[in-house]
Amino acid sequence: MPGVPPSPDDPICAVATPPGRGALAVVRLSGRGARVIAGRVTRKELIPRKAVLTGFRDGNGERIDQGLALYFQAPASFTGEDLVEFHCHGNPVVCEMLMDALCAQGARRAEPGEFSLRAFLNNKLDLAQAEAIADLISSTTEQCVRTAGRSLQGAFSRRVKEVLEGLVGVRTGVEACLDFPDEDSGALPGKALHGPLSALDGELDELLEQARSGERLHAGATVAIVGAPNVGKSSLINALAQSEIAIVTALPGTTRDPVVADIEVHGLPVRLVDTAGLRTTGDEVEQLGIERTRRILAEADLVLWLDDLSQPDPAGPAPEGVEASRVIRVHNKTDLVARHAEAGRQEVYLSVKTGSGMEALVERIRERVLGREQASTPFLARARHLDALQRTQAHVRSALQCLHRGQDLELAGEDLRLAQQALGEITGEFSSDDLLGSIFSEFCIGK
Amino acid sequence: MGSGQAVHHRSRPVRNTGKSDVDSPTTQGAQAMSGRYEVIVVGGGHAGTEAALAAARMGCRTLLVTHNIETIGQMSCNPAIGGIGKSHLVREIDAMGGAMALAADRAGIQFRILNSSKGPAVRATRAQADRVLYKAAIREQIENQANLQVFQQPVEDLLLEQDAVRGVLTQAGIRFEAPAVVLTAGTFLDGRVHVGDNQYAAGRAGDPPARTLAQRLRELPFRTGRLKTGTPPRLDGRTIDYRRTEPQPGEVPVPVFSFMGTAAMHPRQVHCHITHTGEATHAIIRRDLHRSPMYNGRIESVGPRYCPSIEDKVTRFAERTQHQVFIEPEGLQTHEVYPNGLSTSLPYETQCRLVQSIRGLERAHITRPGYAIEYDYFDPRDLQPSLQTRAIRGLYFAGQINGTTGYEEAAAQGLLAGINAARQVQDREPWVVGRDQAYIGVMVDDLVTRGTVEPYRMFTSRAEFRLILRQDNADLRLSETARRLGCLPEERWQAFVRKREAIDAHTRYLKQAVLRPGADRARQCGQVLGSELKREYSLYELLRRPEADLRTLSRIVPELGEIPAEVAEQIEIQARYAGYIERQKAQARHLSQQEHVRLPEDLEYASIAGLSNEARQKLVEVRPRTLGHAARIPGITAATLSLLLVHLKARERLKRSA
Repeated sequence: MPGVPPSPDDPICAVATPPGRGALAVVRLSGRGARVIAGRVTRKELIPRKAVLTGFRDGNGERIDQGLALYFQAPASFTGEDLVEFHCHGNPVVCEMLMDALCAQGARRAEPGEFSLRAFLNNKLDLAQAEAIADLISSTTEQCVRTAGRSLQGAFSRRVKEVLEGLVGVRTGVEACLDFPDEDSGALPGKALHGPLSALDGELDELLEQARSGERLHAGATVAIVGAPNVGKSSLINALAQSEIAIVTALPGTTRDPVVADIEVHGLPVRLVDTAGLRTTGDEVEQLGIERTRRILAEADLVLWLDDLSQPDPAGPAPEGVEASRVIRVHNKTDLVARHAEAGRQEVYLSVKTGSGMEALVERIRERVLGREQASTPFLARARHLDALQRTQAHVRSALQCLHRGQDLELAGEDLRLAQQALGEITGEFSSDDLLGSIFSEFCIGK
Repeated sequence: MGSGQAVHHRSRPVRNTGKSDVDSPTTQGAQAMSGRYEVIVVGGGHAGTEAALAAARMGCRTLLVTHNIETIGQMSCNPAIGGIGKSHLVREIDAMGGAMALAADRAGIQFRILNSSKGPAVRATRAQADRVLYKAAIREQIENQANLQVFQQPVEDLLLEQDAVRGVLTQAGIRFEAPAVVLTAGTFLDGRVHVGDNQYAAGRAGDPPARTLAQRLRELPFRTGRLKTGTPPRLDGRTIDYRRTEPQPGEVPVPVFSFMGTAAMHPRQVHCHITHTGEATHAIIRRDLHRSPMYNGRIESVGPRYCPSIEDKVTRFAERTQHQVFIEPEGLQTHEVYPNGLSTSLPYETQCRLVQSIRGLERAHITRPGYAIEYDYFDPRDLQPSLQTRAIRGLYFAGQINGTTGYEEAAAQGLLAGINAARQVQDREPWVVGRDQAYIGVMVDDLVTRGTVEPYRMFTSRAEFRLILRQDNADLRLSETARRLGCLPEERWQAFVRKREAIDAHTRYLKQAVLRPGADRARQCGQVLGSELKREYSLYELLRRPEADLRTLSRIVPELGEIPAEVAEQIEIQARYAGYIERQKAQARHLSQQEHVRLPEDLEYASIAGLSNEARQKLVEVRPRTLGHAARIPGITAATLSLLLVHLKARERLKRSA
């Protein structure tokens, strides 16, 4: 089964301005459906050649940034296709989030030179530039291969290959079962593959974690702050961000929108997200806020679980759906109590008001965001690797569900094919079409 | 052939192909008249018959030349049609108006549905066929096909004029002329049979090999290779103790192969039986292994990995204490059986001992020894996707000579070659089948893109668009095309239109019919499906649930019970697989965009800037026709494709400005 190569006019996106910080950055989106995708991210009806001031929202509808969106209708654009420019803040983290948002709506990250390629194919560039574009494509491809080679060296690449082999192994079992039903040759029944596939799911979890810690170096990590109303979450964010960005008030439950502050912790970009107070309530608006909180917690790289030492029972219920390994317990308002216990490995005592203990917290965040083991250098996994790993895992999980149901094994086969295709994007191996060879070497086939 | 003469006289004259008529036909009047056709098909096997029938259905005056009319439609190996991947091909041939499925319905003596619980896309039909009935059914279709004539004589040579074919020359020196020739010579090309230490030149068992033609073809610029395949010994069923075997009954109700088929067409149904080899069998094989030509080096060609000989299985999977043997009846009027799983080229005495070491076969008499056969094939990378050879215009190859194995694979190629031979005669573009349209397209694309190193057999895992290429929807995928090409009889088209309209009408109804929470029907539905309906649902939405099908829903909405089974099946699959199907269709659209970018034959890869040496070498070797074709060459990257696009664009712009 060969893979399916990308189509020549599918929507692609890329940052058009030079990397690094600046006042402004431009992200470009080009291809079929660019306007529809931009419409979903901006929630605005875009009119050709008219700049619109708008918010940019991610796949969950959360606001990432605010800026200008500018739509150029085909063929009157740089690429000759429908093209949208997003002018956002010149922060690499924001750019990455905007690209993620576009990908979540159906775009993909452009290959090197792909914008120029399209411009040329649509007669937007001079014939004399053909050679220059060919050069660009082949040299940047080589460069990418080298860069990818560097970031793929060592443990990460080995593990990706292991998962790939594991996937081929499971696919061999599934396909043998589908293509050779008459054999009593030890072709595995679908259900017996559940175990190995679950193991692969676990390995993908670990790989994703590794990849994320590498990702953080240039794309930033998300830190969510959670706790009962009035424990001082917004104040903590403000203290960390050193600016008044969230409404701080004594009325319980007023922080209904997650508030974003992008800060740097010792040079690492970190995005802080406040959450609505976790509290049982009949207020429908607040219910919505709580739902959103759950989602944020599920996706955060790190969760600060804040409590108020001055309250009689400060601990309260642990945040739902968050593994302990992602949580740092933060005990606030040390200024209001006479003494407190010794801080454990995963907790910090502080007072947002006086600032005591804040440094310890920042250090903990840095430690965690970089990854627990300082010894293993974080991998420079690129955003597209992360994206590929996530898609791989989504397909693996879908295949697991199919295997679990025990019916329609062919759907598991399809999900596994897509999983392998997604993972193959990292290693550059488009397809392993000798699946049949793998079947024949493993099973005794032949009626 | 009572009607043959009449057809002959009614048929249209040969079209002028525009080329000069240098090599003029034989001057003797009568022979010259009977010697001119529009399409000539060489070979009367599964490829040849479908090719001849297809060309004739499309209105071309067609001649089928075979060395023996009696063996037209012969099943020379395993007496079965269909199976995984293969039944998909059979249904596609059927949807294109071909013969195989109806013949299988008339000859099938045991039918099975394979993979019934694993999903509709991998579900397959397999029929054990009575050889005599099958052959008769094919022969009947051949003899009653308008525009088609048959002639018995071995073909010894091709008539060529520069790089175009002009006809064939038979053993007796008779010339037949046509602008298109479909060659389906099977394993007859330089065949060599091995039984133990003995070997002799032959086609399949009992037939002479076509050596002269093989020599002639070897002089032409085609790359050739050698393959091998094997068969088991045949046994006398009267000497088998069936009580010591396990019966394998057919499916009830008995399925049909053809979209036009009915169970009433089937002859009497019988059982197959299963037994196993044992340690004693394996010991016998191991002791005499040095006498197997596969192991003593006499055969060097490659056999299929999915159909290994019993000596292969025993050697490669030494830990297995037994292997399955399916005892398949060869027909209703014969006692001969085919012990599937015992393919061997060991010496005859060893075959006797190994057969008799098997449970139930202790007294079995061998009626024909098993053998291995080596034969020539032509590297299919020298073919265009129309199956026309790249070197000789008008010459088409189909079937086993292209390195495939299996009746279904051969028949599907025959159909395609026959259609394209006719298209050529009609001065029309060839029919190129996409990988997303049909298994026929997958097979031909695999062959012309990658070639093959072992006999190529179809499997569902070869098809990346497997979920949309099902045996149940072959008619929905291909009927329109078949009609446009002119190879679909009117009554088949009408039947298809009725089915399609029924699917549309019922789907519309199911989408409009809504159950509201609280209503009686909604409550009943909750009971039937095991969960209360919390919001409004259309019946169609309910069908998406794994626990719901139309039969279940008909307990609430009785009129749904009246939807015909084949219509209900389509609606259910469409509803339940919608997400998967949409995704595959999106990928198919991407593919087809790339298939529309043609790479000219004269493209100079050496002059394309930026290509890596590896990519350049591969492109020169394969000479892909389209960008999509190039993308499927192993090792070709997205960057290479981009560079090709840049070059094509620059070339086009240069041409325009010139």
